Amino acid sequence: MRLSGLQLRHFRNLGDQELRIPAEGVAVIGRNAQGKSNLLEAIYYLETFRSFRRVPDEQLIAFGEDSFRLVACLVGCSGDVSGGQGDEIEVAAAYQRAGKRKKVSVEGVEPERLGDAVGRLSAVIFSPLDVGVVSDGPGLRRRFVDIVLSLNVPGYLDALQRFRHTLAQRNASLRKESPPDVVRAWDGVLVESGSRVMLERLSWAERWAEAFTRYYQTVSGEEAAHLSYDPAFAIDRADLGRVEELYRQALDESARREARVHATVVGPHRDDLRISLAEEDEHRDLREFGSGGQRRTAALALRLVEAATIRAARGFEPLLLLDDTFAELDEGRSERVLALIEQEEPGQVILTAPKESDVKVRRDALPRWTIDAGCIQA
Amino acid sequence: MSAIDRLAEDFARLPGIGRKTAIRLVFHLMKRPKEEALRLSGSIREVADTIRPCERCGNFAESDLCEICSNPGRDTSLLCVVEEAYDVGAIERTGQFRGVFHVLGGRLSPLDGVGPEELSIPRLLDRVGSDAISEVIVATNASVEGEATAVYLENTIRPLGVKVTRLARGIPVGSDLEYVDGTTIAEALAGRREM
Repeated sequence: MRLSGLQLRHFRNLGDQELRIPAEGVAVIGRNAQGKSNLLEAIYYLETFRSFRRVPDEQLIAFGEDSFRLVACLVGCSGDVSGGQGDEIEVAAAYQRAGKRKKVSVEGVEPERLGDAVGRLSAVIFSPLDVGVVSDGPGLRRRFVDIVLSLNVPGYLDALQRFRHTLAQRNASLRKESPPDVVRAWDGVLVESGSRVMLERLSWAERWAEAFTRYYQTVSGEEAAHLSYDPAFAIDRADLGRVEELYRQALDESARREARVHATVVGPHRDDLRISLAEEDEHRDLREFGSGGQRRTAALALRLVEAATIRAARGFEPLLLLDDTFAELDEGRSERVLALIEQEEPGQVILTAPKESDVKVRRDALPRWTIDAGCIQA
Repeated sequence: MSAIDRLAEDFARLPGIGRKTAIRLVFHLMKRPKEEALRLSGSIREVADTIRPCERCGNFAESDLCEICSNPGRDTSLLCVVEEAYDVGAIERTGQFRGVFHVLGGRLSPLDGVGPEELSIPRLLDRVGSDAISEVIVATNASVEGEATAVYLENTIRPLGVKVTRLARGIPVGSDLEYVDGTTIAEALAGRREM
C-alpha cells in the first residue's frame, strides 16, 4: 500500500496544502519545531483516527481555527504487494471543535462504525516516543500489542472490547462487595473474551520472537534480545479451550484477593510483553537493566515486527514513517537500521530529519522536501 | 413560557426526539384538525390512567393481571424471562410461544448500580418455587449484561430443580453470511446442529 496524495487543512501548523507523494517516498528536512512530526502525525491519524502522540483531537486543530480536515489518496490497498497498480481509494477525516464532531469517510461514504474505516491506510510509525514502550510500565506494551493485533487479526478488537466492558462491570460488582454468585455471573464472558485476547497475544509473541531477536541483533551489531508474552498465569498449551480452563482456575484461586482489593486481579489487563537481554542463560529485563541505546534498539525492533505482522496478515507493504529516528542512535546502529530497512522494507518510506546528512535511505535516492513553519516545499 | 414551548419541551424529553423534531411535531399538530390533537392527548391520558405492571409477571396490564397471565389457554409450566416489558411484545408477535412471561425490569449492571435486588429476581424465584414450572427460558439480550444476567439466573434457578434454557444465538434470517459480525458467526458455529 502506498500514499499517493495528501490534503491538509488546519491540522496543527500545516496550513492548507495539497501534496503529491512520490511512489518511493520522500525525506522531509527541516529545523526543529517546523512541523515535521506534525506531518507524520497527520498521515498516521488517517489510519487510527487518533493522534499517535495521544493528544486529544481538539489540540490538533490549528490555532484560531474551528476544525481540521485530512484526506489521503491510497493505492494498492487490496493485497497488491507491488503497491503500484491497485485502484485509488480516498480516506478522509475531519474534526470540528464546536460539537466535538469527528467525521470519517472512505470514498466519500461515512462508515457505520469508525472501526470499519480504521486501518485502510496502513503505516508503521517509528518515533522517539517509542522508547517508552520498552522503558515505561506494562500498560504501554499492552497498548502496543493491542493496536497491532486490532489492525491485523480479525476478531481481536471485538474480543478486546468485550473483555474491557465485562471487566468494568465485574470490577464495579467487586467494589460494591456483591455476593460471590453475582460477581461470578460475569466470569463466562470475561473468560471467553479474555482467553481469546491472551491466546492471540501469546501466538503473536511466539510467532515473531525469532524475528525480533534477529532485528535487534542486526541493529545492535552484537548482543541479542528476546521478546515473550508474560501472562499472569502460566499457559502450557496454546489452545483456546485450555486457556479458558486455566483462566477459570486462576479466577478461582484469586477470589480471596479479589474480595480484598475489590478488583479483578488476573487476566489480559495484568499481562506484559517481556523484552530481555540474554546474558549467561539469564534473561534480564531491558526495562530494568537496559541502557538508553539498548531500549531504543528494542523499540525499533518492535516496530519492524509490526511491519512484518502487517505484511504477513494483509499481504502488502506498509508505509514506513520514520520520525527523526536516527537522532539518538550512534552511527553504527543508524547505519545498520538503514541497511535493514533497505533489505527488508521495500515499501514507501516517509522520513523526517533536521539535517540533510541524516538521510541515507534508499541509497540517498529519496526525493528531498523541505519544511519551514509548516510549509512544505518539494 | 408559551404553551407551544412547553409542549415542544415535553416532546423533546421523549427518547429519540431532539429539539428540532419536537418543534416540528408541535407545528404539525397545530396545522391538523383540533380533534386529532385531542385524540392523541386522550390516548396518552388513557394509557397513563389504565396501564400498570401485571402483578404476576411485570408485563403491561390494564387490570391486576396482564392479558397473558389471565388467559387460561396459556401453558403456565413454561416461563420465559425477559429484560423489559416490550420484549414480551417481540416474542408474542412470533405467535410461537404458548407459555407465560416474567419481566425483570432491566439487567445486571453494577456500573449503573443495578444488582439482583434492583430487578424482580426475588419475585421470579418465588414463582419458580411455588408455581408448577417445568422450564425457565432465559431470553435476556445477547449483550455482555444480558449474558451475565442469564448466567446468574441459571446458577440461581437450577439448584431449585427446574430446567433452565437460553435462547439460541446465530445468523439472522435473510442475512448474508459475509455481512454478519465475527462473534455472531463464531457463536453460530459453536451452536450448529446436525441436519
